[in-house]
Amino acid sequence: MLKTPHWEMMIVWYFFLGGIAGGAYFTAAVADAFGTARDRAVARIGYLVALPLVVICGALLIADLGVPMRFLNMLGTFKFWDPMSIGAWALGVFGLFTFASALLSFSPSPPAVAWRRKIGLVGIFFGFFLASYTGVLISNTALPFWSEGRLMGALFLASGASTGMATIALILFLTGGAGGEGWRKVKQADRYAIGFELCVLALFLVLLGSAAAPLLGGRLAVLFWGGLVVVGLAVPLALELVAHRTAALGAVSAVLVLVGGFVLRYVVVMSIQT
Amino acid sequence: MARTLAMFTDTSLCIGCRACQVACKQWNELGAEAPEWTGTYQNHAHFTDQTFRLVRFVEEPKPSGDLAWLLMSDVCKHCAQAGCLEACPTGAIYRTEFGTVDINQDVCNGCRYCVASCPFGVVHFDDGSGTARKCTFCNDRIHNGLGPACAKACPTDSIQFGFRDELVAKAGKRVETLKGMGFKEAQLYGADTGGFLGGLNAFFLLLSKPSTYNLPEHPRLPQRNVVVDSLLSIGSALVVGLGAIVSFRSRGKGDGDA
Repeated sequence: MLKTPHWEMMIVWYFFLGGIAGGAYFTAAVADAFGTARDRAVARIGYLVALPLVVICGALLIADLGVPMRFLNMLGTFKFWDPMSIGAWALGVFGLFTFASALLSFSPSPPAVAWRRKIGLVGIFFGFFLASYTGVLISNTALPFWSEGRLMGALFLASGASTGMATIALILFLTGGAGGEGWRKVKQADRYAIGFELCVLALFLVLLGSAAAPLLGGRLAVLFWGGLVVVGLAVPLALELVAHRTAALGAVSAVLVLVGGFVLRYVVVMSIQT
Repeated sequence: MARTLAMFTDTSLCIGCRACQVACKQWNELGAEAPEWTGTYQNHAHFTDQTFRLVRFVEEPKPSGDLAWLLMSDVCKHCAQAGCLEACPTGAIYRTEFGTVDINQDVCNGCRYCVASCPFGVVHFDDGSGTARKCTFCNDRIHNGLGPACAKACPTDSIQFGFRDELVAKAGKRVETLKGMGFKEAQLYGADTGGFLGGLNAFFLLLSKPSTYNLPEHPRLPQRNVVVDSLLSIGSALVVGLGAIVSFRSRGKGDGDA
């Protein structure tokens, strides 16, 4: 009989917040490098969201260890083929990038902006890594539901990007930046990401085949269909498509995307627990 | 590397006395646990952090309507390609010069990735120590010229310890003998180094198909898909990235860029 690792709520939160951190940083860096000067608010919010989330992520991972004081043992080894090993390294490196980017986002001086853009473009790599490696990590275990579909990492990445964008949109809304150019662009990018995530999810379920049973027929099936597919993906996408000019509805859809992102991590992690 | 050592568990000789289970507990100073009622003499249902050897009592319905009573002393397989070892991010899980797999309890930080990565469900998390634990192949004993405690205690030689190549040759002959005696399904599990997981350094002789003993027919290395999964994630990143770039370049062109 296979055993489950008893990764529970702390890991659910880690997967969720790590995805947001990676996605928000990526969105910020793209806004910084490819957007206009008016998109700076998006970039700044993204960088400033990523930093504290990465710190929380690190704390969650350490707290979940059997012997938290030994967390540094992860950094005494480097196994490039092992998601857990490079994941620990990547979290640390990404932390440095978010720190530098967040710091530089306070300076409007041209050299600072130029540096921030360069750092952001490299940091995207680590942000994406943080958002997706958790999926690759659990899909390389002996547990069939986690390991039979090849798209867990791709799915987590799409969800991470989408929830990162939703977080930025929500903060824009709360700080009175809704309706502006940056808002419209973030919402447009999130529409693409949600649509893509739906496609990846469908393909993922097909690839899983009978191994999807814990998800589709288990005790969390209702949460999966209701919380993720309907509330977390279909409804926000529909809201975005029919009413994306209404700021309040845009904010509602952002909240729903975040709910969906959390439900995704929750059902994936918790449905294998015995 | 020294010559590979192995344990050969010949289930056809097991009488279910559980001396191996007790000897393992005593030598490794494993704690007592509350008994678990499994419906058979088997106790516990699975390996735990305090049970590294476990005698399984299996009842197999026969075509005649009778039950075959199959006994099997199960243990960590010490795989040549070990999922737990590949998964370990601290280097706590290591391969000894004898080819066995051990967990350094002073290095393990209890991340539990190995627990999910064992194709046989052997590794178990110990809440007390906060570390992962499993059979050590009596690492202290084999480094002092002694065989594992379970093999030493076995009164019927169902558990044999020795050099792997010699044990495999012996096991092959034993299968032939058993087949000649009418045990048509007698087979080795994990003896072939060209077979699954590069061969098991604790391999078995079974009297029925592996699934009867709740063993996977074709265990696979969990880490076999890291490259594919990573490439698909990169593909996902490119699509999402492209969507964002298109979005941020789409409007506001010519607004000037400070």
